[in-house]
Amino acid sequence: MSLRSSLGIALICAATSACATTQALHVESSVAAIRSAEEHGATTVPQASLHLLFAKEALAQATALNTAGDKERAESWLLRAEADAELAVALSRAASERADAEAAVMRVRELRAENPYASGGAK
Amino acid sequence: MIARAVAGSAMLSLALMSGCAATIPTELAKARAAYAAAAASQTAALVPAELYKAQLALQRAETEFEDHPRGYHVRDLSYVAERRAELADALAAGSVERTAEGAANVAYQSTQDDIMRDTRQRLGASETDLAVSRATEAATAARLSSADAARAAADVRTSDAQLALARVAAVKEESRGLVVTLAAASLFDVGGVVLLTDSRGLLTSVADSLLERRDREVLVEAHTDSSGTDADNVVLSQRRADAVRTFLVGRGYEVSRIRSVGLGESHPIADNGTAEGRASNRRVEIIVAPARQTEP
Repeated sequence: MSLRSSLGIALICAATSACATTQALHVESSVAAIRSAEEHGATTVPQASLHLLFAKEALAQATALNTAGDKERAESWLLRAEADAELAVALSRAASERADAEAAVMRVRELRAENPYASGGAK
Repeated sequence: MIARAVAGSAMLSLALMSGCAATIPTELAKARAAYAAAAASQTAALVPAELYKAQLALQRAETEFEDHPRGYHVRDLSYVAERRAELADALAAGSVERTAEGAANVAYQSTQDDIMRDTRQRLGASETDLAVSRATEAATAARLSSADAARAAADVRTSDAQLALARVAAVKEESRGLVVTLAAASLFDVGGVVLLTDSRGLLTSVADSLLERRDREVLVEAHTDSSGTDADNVVLSQRRADAVRTFLVGRGYEVSRIRSVGLGESHPIADNGTAEGRASNRRVEIIVAPARQTEP
């Protein structure tokens, strides 16, 4: 398990336990978005991993604020966390789609190189 | 969508004017810039719904800035708005990549189709070449077979002709060809150059046999015994050879293929000292040249 994942889970646990002692903070959306980003491979895409980190930090900040009794600011930080996590997902998907597209183009080039008499390739 | 965009722009303009009174938070400035960049790019066309969400997020931030210009919530909402604009850009980029992948897949399929078509054409051409080759081979075999049959038939005809000649004259195979020897006494009177009436039947048989092989060169040679002068004998033999040649041509043998020559007493085949020998030497030889070997 990576350090980031451990941090994420610790944050989620902290947020959950905080619910028991302070006012309930609805972190579900943010946590789900962070998990989704990780599942989409955000940790392997530089820009996505940065926003994933921002998301986790924002979630931690929200949890801390909630623990401190500032639920309103905590919820505002949750919005940040969710926005960063969703962006991380989108960036991960875009990277994956770029890789797929590049592979498809490469496949066509190889096919044409192997069959130069095909009308799509060099005649 | 256009109406929404216009409304959104109007709201942004109002917000900008009203926001002049307070310092604009960095987050809001960045959100505005991010949204403007997204709206001016391909994002607007590719993912208009996502751009609209970004616009709504920015409007919330602008509204909050209007109501509470120094509140923390402005910064958070602006931060979210900026991310929404970036999210729209990321989705648009993904859309572009998907389109590129789709085009590449179409190109791949098209190239495969081209390869298949090209392969079929090459195969068809090969089959045509093969069929032509086989047809040529068959035609050659047929020609060879036909030539063999013709040659066999010709051999049969030659054999038949030789048998026919053998019945009326002496026939023998020599290196110069088939030699038919006729006694001069059966063709001409003593010292004569006109064919005897009785000889015409004999020569007709010879001519009919020769006509079986019109493609052969024929030489008529006439010989005498040693009686008389050599010069007279040459003249006599030449006239006799010419007479036989004329008869054969008259029977239908091609004139260009038949020659005549009088050799006088120069080529005896028997002793001129005896009556039998001189009788043998007085002769006409009809030489049928061997068949020319032709390429199949």
